[in-house]
Amino acid sequence: MSSVDKTIWDRLFLVLVGAIYIFLMFPIVLVMLLSFNSGEFLAFPLEGFSLRWFESLFSNKRFLDATLYSVRIAAISTIVNGVIGTLAAIYVARHARTGARNWLRVLMTGPLLVPEILTAIALLFFFYEIGVGTDYSIGIQIGHIVVTFPYVFLNVSSALFNFDRSQEEAARSLGAGPWMVFRRVTLPAIKPGIITGCLFCFVISFDIFNISLLLKSLGNNTLPLELFDYLRFNFDPTAAAIASLSIFLTFAAILIIDRTVGLRSLRF
Amino acid sequence: MTALTIDRVNKRYGQLHILKDISIAIREGEFISLLGPSGCGKTTTLRCIAGFERPDSGRILFGTRDVTAALPEKRDIGMVFQSYALFPHMTVAENLAFGLEARKIAPDERKRRIGEVLSMVRLEGYEQRFPRELSGGQQQRVALARALVIEPSVLLLDEPLANLDATLRDEMRFFIRDLQQRVGITSVYVTHDQSEAMVMSDRIVVMNAGEIDQLGAPREIYERPASARVADFIGRSNTLQGEIAEALGGESYRIATSSGAIGAEGPSGLSVGAKVQVMIRPENIRIADTGEARHGDNLISGSVVKSIYQGNANQLSIRLASGDEMAVDVSGRTLIEPDAAISLRFAPGDAWLLAS
Amino acid sequence: MSAQAPARVESSGRGSGTWMVVPALALLVLFFALPYLSILTMSLREASTRAVYADGFTIAHYTTALGDGFIWGILGRTLMIGTIVTVLALLLGYPVAYHLARSRSRWTSLLYIFVLSPLLVGLVVRTFAWMIILSNNGVANQALRGLGLIDFPLQLMNNTLGVTIALTHVFLPFIILPLLGNLQAISPDLAMASRSLGASRLRTFLKVTLPLSLPGIQAGTILVFVLSISAYVTPAMLGGSGGRTMSVLVVQYLIDSFRWPAGAALAIIMASVAIIFVSLYLRLTARAMRRLP
Repeated sequence: MSSVDKTIWDRLFLVLVGAIYIFLMFPIVLVMLLSFNSGEFLAFPLEGFSLRWFESLFSNKRFLDATLYSVRIAAISTIVNGVIGTLAAIYVARHARTGARNWLRVLMTGPLLVPEILTAIALLFFFYEIGVGTDYSIGIQIGHIVVTFPYVFLNVSSALFNFDRSQEEAARSLGAGPWMVFRRVTLPAIKPGIITGCLFCFVISFDIFNISLLLKSLGNNTLPLELFDYLRFNFDPTAAAIASLSIFLTFAAILIIDRTVGLRSLRF
Repeated sequence: MTALTIDRVNKRYGQLHILKDISIAIREGEFISLLGPSGCGKTTTLRCIAGFERPDSGRILFGTRDVTAALPEKRDIGMVFQSYALFPHMTVAENLAFGLEARKIAPDERKRRIGEVLSMVRLEGYEQRFPRELSGGQQQRVALARALVIEPSVLLLDEPLANLDATLRDEMRFFIRDLQQRVGITSVYVTHDQSEAMVMSDRIVVMNAGEIDQLGAPREIYERPASARVADFIGRSNTLQGEIAEALGGESYRIATSSGAIGAEGPSGLSVGAKVQVMIRPENIRIADTGEARHGDNLISGSVVKSIYQGNANQLSIRLASGDEMAVDVSGRTLIEPDAAISLRFAPGDAWLLAS
Repeated sequence: MSAQAPARVESSGRGSGTWMVVPALALLVLFFALPYLSILTMSLREASTRAVYADGFTIAHYTTALGDGFIWGILGRTLMIGTIVTVLALLLGYPVAYHLARSRSRWTSLLYIFVLSPLLVGLVVRTFAWMIILSNNGVANQALRGLGLIDFPLQLMNNTLGVTIALTHVFLPFIILPLLGNLQAISPDLAMASRSLGASRLRTFLKVTLPLSLPGIQAGTILVFVLSISAYVTPAMLGGSGGRTMSVLVVQYLIDSFRWPAGAALAIIMASVAIIFVSLYLRLTARAMRRLP
């Protein structure tokens, strides 16, 4: 149909949509272009390809530390949520009574339903009141785990929802016990959901800001915080290099998801 | 010998009484169908046998072994699902090996049995394919093979042909029945398709609203239905209201109806004066002046309301003098005009009494 | 049969899996549900100059805040930005979702990445990109000057305008994705049926597609509204004092001036206003969605 009656309106619509796609991608592409530009300023015209801003970035101990710190926090969040989020999703889908199931779902997706800044404020007060100060990373780590929890939960839940349960019954009818059914049939079926949820969890944890801002421990900055602080006093291509680095990381994750399970399976 | 006994099984979900005192005894090597409309409890019965549902009361026996409380994986069943439930991440061979591995069968023996069963379902050479690479019919046969390769004591089939197109479904009926007879395995088959149950089964259990309406061989159920509900559910039928005028001994009766007196057969022991329905199948009614009339045939007259040509047959709709309408199938060669007066005949043996 | 069969009985034994949910439940009750209570209690504490808060309880923080024209001004600006961003995101997001839902080309996957990537690239990075574009010597002003349209740079950031533009970009994916899911679920047969009955494309869209996509519009707009009125990073980096929003003010109270109880009260006011807005909106849209299945 599309090829037979392309009207002027079709063309106009395509131009409009194209412009919006460009609007979506332009800022990101811009940052990446400028991070490889040899010029001193974050502006056009481009003066030539250079890795000098990445050199400046990698020679800056604060940025390196911040990157490692962010990776560590994101990795721990991912591992913890990968385990408890998957288990919780299985419980809610399989074992919970119908009445309990609904409020469990609300609770489990709660951190996604309320603004991150409010959760950050709540945890700031809470940790102060129970005496967990900001001397250690435990506060910020818990904050990251809480905020990224729904991503694993939702993706695994959706995988379970799409999974034909008669496969499990078939396995049992063939003589497999509960553990064999889980390991050989259920787990392979929900693996894409777990992978997607974990990658998502990692990327979001690497990027979130408000939790880190309010709960950070003394002397430890995550990469987004370090970039935020840096930009208060500097406005140069080193910042673009940091941004590029974070974009690469994100795109690597997107690529992995797309190649392994397909982007359309993502759940928010 | 009784291979499978369902003994007074009850099952409720909250207010819903899904199974009401169901008892069925299935013989060794028998193919039995659970037939009924949606929600009649046939699938629940099958799932009780498989162990996916636990009856509230009653027992289920495999031979003499009480399996009522046994887990599905300990029952030694083979099950074919409506959705096939093939493991999508395993090849055909791996799907078939799954149950053998659970039974800790040695690799050599596994291989031998997989090869054997694949040739039985005519899928040699498909070992390394994934389910998604197979057609619907092939997936169906893999599902069947997977259930059979473990040599279970009972084969359970839950509407396995529901997802196939009409031609393939006809073919698979005979394929499954033939395979079942060759292997000689006791089978329970759930379906809502009466013609499927008729052609495949040794016996049929007609279920309705959690109860067994009738249990018997296909011929018995078709020709001697226990109730108007069964008669309606299995094939087309005509019913005339009447009253027993005379018991002629054995199963023979004389019935007074608004279209005159009729000779009919029914369960023995009905008393004179009892209200009954007379059931006559459309294909057992003939036009009076064609073919060879036999002594004792019932005669009845009316006018043609509608005549639908179907190639091999004419489907007639006849209005009787009493106002009742009757469906009659006659040979396609016969030319019948609407509004024509017509006289019909049928043998007393083809008129069956249903208690009202 | 299966459609009517009541929920399956878990044959491996219901209740045996309780341990599976315990860690997650503990995490979310202890570190999510409970802490929200401490915002409320904190907002009722007496202020103190020597500690974070003093011993007694008071509602003074609420009365002070609600009697303060400055705070009302910021609240109003926050809601205005939220509303404009939501409308813009809907206007820009709908065509994209519509296009993506109908697209069969092999580039669809790439376009999907276009939509997703702003979501997955960090907020600070995205906002930083907008600083490069909108600053006085930025790309936008450069381009306008290059085209000879202006002689002096336009003030594009440190005000409401910059925040609005950047927030629209930042939250656009959040409206596209629910809409996309909704539009994909509408059978293309419906549009074809409408055309076959003689409706023009525009009429088909207005009478069939648009009404059926209302749930996606509702979900997406609520999401964008809540996200944009509670956003911190973008207004903090791009807003300056002329584009300050409630979140920025609250964080200033908490971090810069250490007025935790007053900050908590502001946070609660912000949340309450958001809840009121969303419930009014739900009520309004419920009327329009009455006929939907």
